[in-house]
Amino acid sequence: MILGRFLAGGLKSPVILISMLVILGIGVLVPVLNLAVPPSSPFHVADHLVPLYGKYLCYGMAALALDLVWGYCGILSLGHGAFFALGGYAMGMHLMREIGTRGVYGDPILPDFMVFLNWKELPWFWYGFDSFLFACLMVMLVPGLLAFIFGWFAFRSRVTGVYLSIITQAMTYALLLAFFRNDMGFGGNNGLTDFKDVLGYDLQSGQVRSALFFLTAFFLALNLLIAAAITGSKYGKILRAVRDAEARTRFLGYRPENIKLFAWVVSAVMAGIAGALYVPQVGIINPGEFAPANSIEMVVWTAVGGRGTLVGPIGGAVLVNAAKSWFTGVLPEYWLFALGGLFILTTLFLPEGVAGLIRKAFGRRAKAPKGKDEETDQPVADATAGE
Amino acid sequence: MTEIPVKIPAEPKSAPKAPPKHAPVPSARKDTLLYLDGVSRSFDGFKAINELSFVLMKGEMRAIIGPNGAGKTTMMDIITGKTRPDKGDVFFMGDVDLTKHDEPTIAQMGIGRKFQKPTVFETQTVADNLLLSLKGERRGIPALFYRSNKPDRQRIDEILEVIRLERRRNELAAFLSHGQKQWLEIGMLLAQDPKLLLVDEPVAGMTDAETEETARLLRDIAVDHSVVVVEHDMGFVRDLGVKVTCLHEGHVLSEGSLDHVSADPQVIEVYLGR
Amino acid sequence: MPLLRILALAVTLALGALAAERASADEAQVSAAIQKFATADGFSGVEATIQELGAIGDPLAVRALRALGENELKVTPDGAVVIEGADALLDPVTGETVAEKGPRLERIRIKNSIRSMIDETISALTLRAADPVVRMSAADTIFAAADPEQLEPVQAALAAEQDPDVRRRLEQAVAAIQLASSDDPEIIRASIEVISQRGDQAALGVLLGYRNQATGEMADAADEGIEAIETRLAMWQAGQNIWYGISLGSVLFLAAIGLAITFGVMGVINMAHGEMVMLGAYTTFVVQETIRNSFPWLFDWSLLIALPLAFLVAGFVGLIMERGIIRHLYGRPLETLLATWGVSLILQQAVRTIFGPNNREVGNPSWMSGAFELGEMSITWSRLWIVCFALFVFVALLFAINRSSLGLQMRAVTQNRRMASAMGIRTPWVDALTFALGSGIAGIAGVALSQIDNVSPNLGRGYIIDSFMVVVFGGVGNLWGTLVGGLTLGVANKFLEPYAGAVLGKILILVFIILFIQRRPRGLFALKGRAVE
Repeated sequence: MILGRFLAGGLKSPVILISMLVILGIGVLVPVLNLAVPPSSPFHVADHLVPLYGKYLCYGMAALALDLVWGYCGILSLGHGAFFALGGYAMGMHLMREIGTRGVYGDPILPDFMVFLNWKELPWFWYGFDSFLFACLMVMLVPGLLAFIFGWFAFRSRVTGVYLSIITQAMTYALLLAFFRNDMGFGGNNGLTDFKDVLGYDLQSGQVRSALFFLTAFFLALNLLIAAAITGSKYGKILRAVRDAEARTRFLGYRPENIKLFAWVVSAVMAGIAGALYVPQVGIINPGEFAPANSIEMVVWTAVGGRGTLVGPIGGAVLVNAAKSWFTGVLPEYWLFALGGLFILTTLFLPEGVAGLIRKAFGRRAKAPKGKDEETDQPVADATAGE
Repeated sequence: MTEIPVKIPAEPKSAPKAPPKHAPVPSARKDTLLYLDGVSRSFDGFKAINELSFVLMKGEMRAIIGPNGAGKTTMMDIITGKTRPDKGDVFFMGDVDLTKHDEPTIAQMGIGRKFQKPTVFETQTVADNLLLSLKGERRGIPALFYRSNKPDRQRIDEILEVIRLERRRNELAAFLSHGQKQWLEIGMLLAQDPKLLLVDEPVAGMTDAETEETARLLRDIAVDHSVVVVEHDMGFVRDLGVKVTCLHEGHVLSEGSLDHVSADPQVIEVYLGR
Repeated sequence: MPLLRILALAVTLALGALAAERASADEAQVSAAIQKFATADGFSGVEATIQELGAIGDPLAVRALRALGENELKVTPDGAVVIEGADALLDPVTGETVAEKGPRLERIRIKNSIRSMIDETISALTLRAADPVVRMSAADTIFAAADPEQLEPVQAALAAEQDPDVRRRLEQAVAAIQLASSDDPEIIRASIEVISQRGDQAALGVLLGYRNQATGEMADAADEGIEAIETRLAMWQAGQNIWYGISLGSVLFLAAIGLAITFGVMGVINMAHGEMVMLGAYTTFVVQETIRNSFPWLFDWSLLIALPLAFLVAGFVGLIMERGIIRHLYGRPLETLLATWGVSLILQQAVRTIFGPNNREVGNPSWMSGAFELGEMSITWSRLWIVCFALFVFVALLFAINRSSLGLQMRAVTQNRRMASAMGIRTPWVDALTFALGSGIAGIAGVALSQIDNVSPNLGRGYIIDSFMVVVFGGVGNLWGTLVGGLTLGVANKFLEPYAGAVLGKILILVFIILFIQRRPRGLFALKGRAVE
């Protein structure tokens, strides 16, 4: 009841409502065009494109998650890839367990890589992942818990601005190194792959692919609604107040560390869900997902789309990744030039991203003056300011 | 803030000492709203506050004057928990030791502060600025389920009327003039409904008319609140017509009526000039 | 400065080894004697020739004797005695290539009794070699083998030996032999004493070998000796770890110091800093290529030539970055971070396009290759020079920042930008030069790193996070902080490695720093000042 009213708050903005309908529409349309329209038709969506589009939507969800903390709370996370990957690993672990005896070594309990490493029994942290529901819980719990612990310490000690960005980067880097180790029990370098099916349905079948695509669209729409409800509530106003003048909110009696912590954890959980939906569609999860560069790339999706707009980053993620697919197909050497240029041009000329551009084009008065960076006017040298 | 150990002097030199918790309030602090005694704070050897003692009674309004660097802002920082004193006692309502609490707790106890440089939430509307300041729930998650209600709306309307920003309620605070931002910040103080208002240079950058308005506003507020005003503008201080404390180099130079203080030769020497 | 003295000592030692090129007068005599193998008549002829070589007593004959023992000494169809190498024929005395490998080589036949004669002759020859280093290594060989047969020649050599160092080695060799062969408890105890004083890995091996068969008191004595050696070795190991740590720390320092300057003065994080390092490394590569192709005799100078060029190249790119991008983003540190990341991607891809994606070969000049031993530690010249270079850069920067007018202005801007601006310092100018300076220093760090790391387009990636950790740990805007931060992290890393492994050690360091920032958000050596808000 309360929850319903809370979510309804997210629908106040027509932009959100329309965007949700569009996302759900795509979620239905793509599977229909793939399954029901004959391959000869120009409207047919090829089989390999369904998971590709699904991947874009997952990236969109990650960008949305990032926007919640960067756009509304001023936390530039350079480590959201870690939450994404952790969600992915949690789902991947379940899919590994579902392989059962169909692995190369045919061991009913141990995944192939463990047999290969001569392990005798399943490590304790793999317990429970044979249950789909448990895995789904972990998809949200593990990134959420990591975010909670990290945020608890970081926000409490008032680490902000670039310092915070750098330690989020260090966090994902440390995880990258950790997951590369074979001893960790997550398949080391190769990660988790060779998945067969999910809930008993063959992952390679067209129906399952389409179902996964629809699910991704559904969760994206749902997360958009949740994010809109959060940012539209009074809490959202507090969040923005913390972003713009953290010290001031403290003198009003708010605890910015707790305010930020909530958004941070929600955002991490969203990124985890995105990762979990990503893995069955892509068919692999490996430590590369933790690479610092991945997390920074997520930032550019959000920046291109327009931070602080929720819908923009989703579009940004789709746009940038579609461009990436095109470049890697046609001009592979130039992709990094394009991506690098995108970083520079967006920050220099499009601080509000494409969404800001569209808003301007439609002649609506810019809703807000440029959001202030938290460290503006506060040179690093002013040491005691941070104490 | 947590890493600065709260230093409690090993041997308090002056008479009133910090009592054990829940001990009866010593008579010296009875009926005081704010009680500072022997407070010192130095930054890298520079004594911003030096053996400062300052008492504010319940319901009182006080003006603080003093040259730049006299320690006015540091004193506010200490009261609001932003800065810990190196030594000395700071008590609120007679028995709450402010040196043991942080900013949000102190704010929730009922000490509101207006900054020297007006700080309002520029990307939000005037009404939302007041909504965020309204006394009440300060936790995040209940705020998710907050629903606009009649008492809150009425209170915001009242304050908007007091600070004369009714017609700009839905505009972004960033678009207000400097003086209007000062008023909005005073309005935010009112919305908090604190027991004690600390007002740092409320009329800096205001026109004469605005200054007069502000003095009237503060006098109105002082009817049912205790107020400490820091101000350089002597005309404004005279308008307030309250007891004045003059700070210099971190301690009290002179205290009394404005006429008394401004006649003090020391005050003339260091502050007013001849 | 003790460090300088150690350095001077090390250089003297190395030069001494080179000068000790033995001046052998009887090279011709040895050569003539070896030639007799070609005409030797049967086994007895060979034996006679070996005896003759032993009588000459010049260790130059050792090479030929070894080859003889391994059936590699051959006679060519035209009657010359040569060693058959893997792919050429070698002179039996000098070991230089004398001819292509040809067919129809005749082997000089030997039998087992001749083989042991050869071995004895070799040991005896090397124990009497002119070069004390050779004598020492002969003694060490005997020490490790501990063959009772050798006792007599070693004792004879010991009686004749003058050099105290070689004497000690010979005494140890005698002790090892006695330990293996004697039954007299007194002699054994004394031998254990001598061996445990030697205190290295070989001594430990000998004692452990003895311990396995010893019983009673002798076993206890051996245990004592083993413990003494192990303690000593552990200390040297710690010393070696400290050295590795200092070496890694100076690399981290070099990579981070430019970043510390730009971050300190401008509050800007330059994510392309690692790429500046990479540019410096590639500059070294280009300089070396040019030298290889056109001026090969300059190769030993290549690094000195590359240093200023790398500084200019990276500094210039930095200047363009500051003027073109960063100054437009002043006051928006997070956006700056993203834009510089974009620059880093472009620089990486540009280098990949120009030089290819693979590692490029950057050579070590002769004075940077090789290693020397210090006690039980092995120190490579390249690492040693990098540590020296890091110290040099540190002192130079300290001097520049504390003494030059740009340094003064930089410090002013670091401490209070608005005030500095009000005092008439042209802060944009200071920013641009600071950024160029920081980038330039990254460039010369790249020259140093090219000596110990793979030069590839990804070179910078490996350093960027570590550099940030150093800067953040040491405290922003403080050269000493960066030095201490770099060295601390380097040493900590190397000490964790043996216990936790390289990767886990690194993770632990990262976690430590993440926690450390929580406690001290401004680093070890934070600039102090009254809060201005």
